Amino acid sequence: MNYIKNMNTIRKISYASLIYFFLYAPIFVLIIYSFNNSSYSFLWQGFTLRWYQNLLHNTELQIVAIHSLIIAILAATFATGIGTVAAVNLYRYKFFGKKLLHSLIFILILSPDIVTGISLLVLFSVMKITLGFWTLLLSHITFCIPFVTVIVFSRLIGQDKHLLEAAKDLGATDSVIFRRILIPLLWPSIIAGWLISFTLSLDDVIISFFVTGPEFDILPLKIFSMTRVGVKPEVNALCSVMFGLTLGLVCLYQFAMRNRDRGT
Amino acid sequence: MNMMLSSLRSLLSSPRKRGSKPKYLFFALFLILSISSTLVQAEEPILNVYTWSGYLPESVIHQFQQETGIRVNHSTYASNEALYSKLKANPDIGYDIIIPSADFVSRMIKQDLLQPLDKTKLHYLKNLNPTFLNKACDPGNLYSLPYLWNAYGIAVNQKYHNPKTITSWNDLWQSKYKEQLLAIDDTRIFFSMGLVSLGYSENETNPKKLNEVFLKLKDLMNNIKVFNLDAQKSIYIDEDITLGMALNGDIYLAQIENPNLQFIFPKEGFVIALDSLAIPKGAKHSDNAHRFIDFVLQAEVSKQISLETGFSTPNRAAELAMPDNIRNNPFLYPTKEIMKRGKFEIDVGEAARLYEHYFERLKMEH
Repeated sequence: MNYIKNMNTIRKISYASLIYFFLYAPIFVLIIYSFNNSSYSFLWQGFTLRWYQNLLHNTELQIVAIHSLIIAILAATFATGIGTVAAVNLYRYKFFGKKLLHSLIFILILSPDIVTGISLLVLFSVMKITLGFWTLLLSHITFCIPFVTVIVFSRLIGQDKHLLEAAKDLGATDSVIFRRILIPLLWPSIIAGWLISFTLSLDDVIISFFVTGPEFDILPLKIFSMTRVGVKPEVNALCSVMFGLTLGLVCLYQFAMRNRDRGT
Repeated sequence: MNMMLSSLRSLLSSPRKRGSKPKYLFFALFLILSISSTLVQAEEPILNVYTWSGYLPESVIHQFQQETGIRVNHSTYASNEALYSKLKANPDIGYDIIIPSADFVSRMIKQDLLQPLDKTKLHYLKNLNPTFLNKACDPGNLYSLPYLWNAYGIAVNQKYHNPKTITSWNDLWQSKYKEQLLAIDDTRIFFSMGLVSLGYSENETNPKKLNEVFLKLKDLMNNIKVFNLDAQKSIYIDEDITLGMALNGDIYLAQIENPNLQFIFPKEGFVIALDSLAIPKGAKHSDNAHRFIDFVLQAEVSKQISLETGFSTPNRAAELAMPDNIRNNPFLYPTKEIMKRGKFEIDVGEAARLYEHYFERLKMEH
């Protein structure tokens, strides 16, 4: 009996580790190559920190990375604000066309990037808006909003509706309910929505290709354009740094959530 | 489009929540947007450059900014198609300098996307090598000036094959090379090999001849192991493949890491990919663009660009100023006799579809 049990755990563990292996192996390969002492070869030529040093001096790559971070942070923040309010509206109030609006949100999530990209480009050129920072930011906010709304909405459904009725009974106004009850309740999903928007914005190529202008280049487009001449090892180094940053962000989130749970 | 806006707006405002904060923020954003877009109209010391990735070294941009006080915004593309579609979708997008390849230069001229150059503003024109001027893609160089060039030939690893036995494109058809070759994953370049090996023009548009080339290339498919465009250097360096099509500049760089690599200019001829500076019609800083072109034409700058990118320069003065080992490198600067066999591409118009069709069939039927 014990033997079979052991076999089962082994099977489970190896299955799980296989999944994680498939997910993480490419990232580790990239990180390993960022230390490879060769410009083009994929064979191991020795350990070096050269690419990280080059990265420090490569201002062009740094500038586009900073551009990307600025856009991602701003887009995630605005989208989270707008998306949360939208989710609360959809949950709390009855108004004409509510069902339609609700399903339109899902359609936006499902619609291919290329459609969103081209339609935004058409919109901007009809309105005669110069392509650049603002068009990029607006577009990123636009495609992030539905994701935030869906995430926050799914958390709202799980809540007890009587909570809001009780609050109202005790004389809370709408804004008080929003600030003192809904926001604290929804906090984990709001952060999750922000993080998802941040990630989506940071690695979007297709929509950005259409809506950005000459004065504002971003990292994903820069890396994508290197495919013809070959991606430089400095990009491996940069991606490793960004992976580290993401890891840090996730750890911070877990840490904050645990403290919060302990607090309540 | 208005529908999209109004649906966004109605998302933000329920009957009871009229005037909530995010809505004001949204309108404020639009206000700032409209103001900033009107401000951009005025002339300014800015230059928007759109080039192939890795084609414009940072040091050159830096020097230009210091000398002229013009701020350069540099963005990059990976293919002529990306550049073309971006310009075509929005001609007023605001790029001031672009570097299309020869066939796209001729297509863009045909479609009125380029601005004629004002040669009175260009003092270093005489530096350019006449070999690369006045080509079919832009007769008289009214719209474009050569920037860098590459040649598509054959790469051989001498550890595995004797380079002397390979002199012609036709040598690649030998059955002993079964499943060994690398082919460049670019329709026109791949077909140019077949066209030139049959003695036809690299810009052939006759459907009958194209069909003949298709059949000839079909025989070659058994020898091809991989189609690749972006990783030739690593593939040849790591000896995953030891024979196949390649760019001379790539093999020059690869040879530094693997000295066994050799480059051959086939005897029937080879395509020279010429990338040229041009100014799009919608450019808002035409004066600055001319200053930039003139800056790049200087021997020292041109030399620096060529050294950092690894590709050959069409600038005669820069070529002469190169260090000896580069100037005499037979891959980068072959003799005049070899250069005579070089061929230049132009837009093939409607025939491009036929090329694509045959290329797809080759890959699918194999």
